[in-house]
Amino acid sequence: MGNYFTMIFSRPFPKKQIKLLMVGLDAAGKTTVLFKLKLGEVVTTIPTIGFNVETVEYKNISFAVWDVGGQSKIRGLWKYYYQYTEGLIFVVDSSDHDRIETAAEELNAMLAEDEMRDAVLLVLANKQDLPKAMPVHELTDRLGLHALRGRQWFVQATCAVQGSGLYEGLDWLSDQLSRR
Amino acid sequence: MTESYHTDLTAEEQMEIERLKMHKQILLEDIEKLKNQIENVMADIQDFKSAEDNKMLEREKRFCSGKKKFNMDPKKGIKYLVDNELLDWKPERVAEFLYKEEGLNKTAIGDFLGEREDMHLQILKAFVELHEFSDLNLVQALRQFLWSFRLPGEAQKIDRMMEAFATRYCNCNANVFQSTDTCYILSFAIIMLNTSLHNPNVKDKTSLERFISMNRGINNGQDLPNELLTNLYNSIRNEPFKIPEDDGNDLTHTFFNPEREGWLLKLGGRVKTWKRRWFILTDNCLYYFEYTTDKEPRGIIPLENLCVREVMFPRKPYCLELYNPNSQGQKIKACKTETDGRVVEGKHQSYTICAASAEERDEWIESIRASITKDPFYDLVSTRKKKVINTVTEN
Repeated sequence: MGNYFTMIFSRPFPKKQIKLLMVGLDAAGKTTVLFKLKLGEVVTTIPTIGFNVETVEYKNISFAVWDVGGQSKIRGLWKYYYQYTEGLIFVVDSSDHDRIETAAEELNAMLAEDEMRDAVLLVLANKQDLPKAMPVHELTDRLGLHALRGRQWFVQATCAVQGSGLYEGLDWLSDQLSRR
Repeated sequence: MTESYHTDLTAEEQMEIERLKMHKQILLEDIEKLKNQIENVMADIQDFKSAEDNKMLEREKRFCSGKKKFNMDPKKGIKYLVDNELLDWKPERVAEFLYKEEGLNKTAIGDFLGEREDMHLQILKAFVELHEFSDLNLVQALRQFLWSFRLPGEAQKIDRMMEAFATRYCNCNANVFQSTDTCYILSFAIIMLNTSLHNPNVKDKTSLERFISMNRGINNGQDLPNELLTNLYNSIRNEPFKIPEDDGNDLTHTFFNPEREGWLLKLGGRVKTWKRRWFILTDNCLYYFEYTTDKEPRGIIPLENLCVREVMFPRKPYCLELYNPNSQGQKIKACKTETDGRVVEGKHQSYTICAASAEERDEWIESIRASITKDPFYDLVSTRKKKVINTVTEN
């Protein structure tokens, strides 16, 4: 019954469309995150040559998630896609001790972009199931998140392969973004 | 006898004839000996040849199964081919295999080329160098390149692939771009454009004006001619990059070169009637079809942890049985397609199959036995399962 009413009341209002970017180093688990979020949905889209872009419907919000990245030479091109981005999902492999500094640099470069000024930041501390995985507080330190000024951020522990933690992350995002 | 005809010959001449006859006899014997020797040598040669043929056949088979493995998991497939000395672990050789070999899944090729390990980067470079881009414009060259594998969707992989592509394009067309970087950035922008214009998940479509302003200053600080960018934009808008056709998913490859195939009678699982089925034994699985020309099997029986034996059946003298020695009473892991097209689990606790002769039955038993694989975990799990069931019933 409750569902019935929400359905009626939510009908007249179109779903809010939110543009999210997803970044992270190679093999951090971005594709798995996208795949898990789409799991269970009927895939009707015709495959396209190009970047992974998925729309995820969750809690009355439609998220369009772009897989972006690459060398610094092509940063200039991405800027055009950063416009109107409301959130950044940064995926990090928690077990990759060797590349955590590189990941921090990548994240900071992204946040420094002018177009990302108002974007909220969700960090997915992925691969938490691996034995050498750094815990959330250590990752927060090493990514330098405490130094961020004027930015809403949140770190969510995930294991994308099992799908755990992903919807908790989206919960935080939809909470933040629906307040705007 | 002959002497009587030659009475007019002198005694000396008679002697001569006798001598010649003796000589002829000896020669005939020699010829016979040589004939025998030739036969022996021929047989030896034949043996060598068939041994060689067998070796070739064996190699061919392993090569085929390496390709199948590649399509399921490219890294494992390549490792198998390299371990079996069917492929050299050298960038040029692997690249050639990926570029020329038929029956490979193009998504698998893309996944393999997209890895970031050094060897994979070298293979990617060698793979791109097998393409000829001379006198093609950038979009034509990209269309050709993106037809030979399925471009992965990860930004970093696309980045590496476009960089390798641009290097090759500039080598083939020396005077088109001022630097490889210009070509690389523009190629990347074209992939972005294709995504934006043709991926239905993207709502905010890039306009020509935006495409032109995106590419401002990428030509060593200078702009590329508007006309060039407009042509590229129109080409992509009018015709998206095609998804490469895949021949690797074709099931006919699976059933090509089987261990054994032929008509057999199969006893039904629930309804005990005999049905004539075309059986194919390959890749440690037994497949059966209604007709030899069917593209997809009616049923699949993986031979993992099964046993096969001769079995007596009234009025069907040449039967064999597939059974599970460790978990009797349980259904054998298998699947079949119902008449309405649904794929369901098999319903057999054992399979009874009848051949046309004792010889045929024995040949099938022998081939099936050779194909049965043993997975130690299977037994372990089934013993566990039994234990759990027992404890539950005891409690």
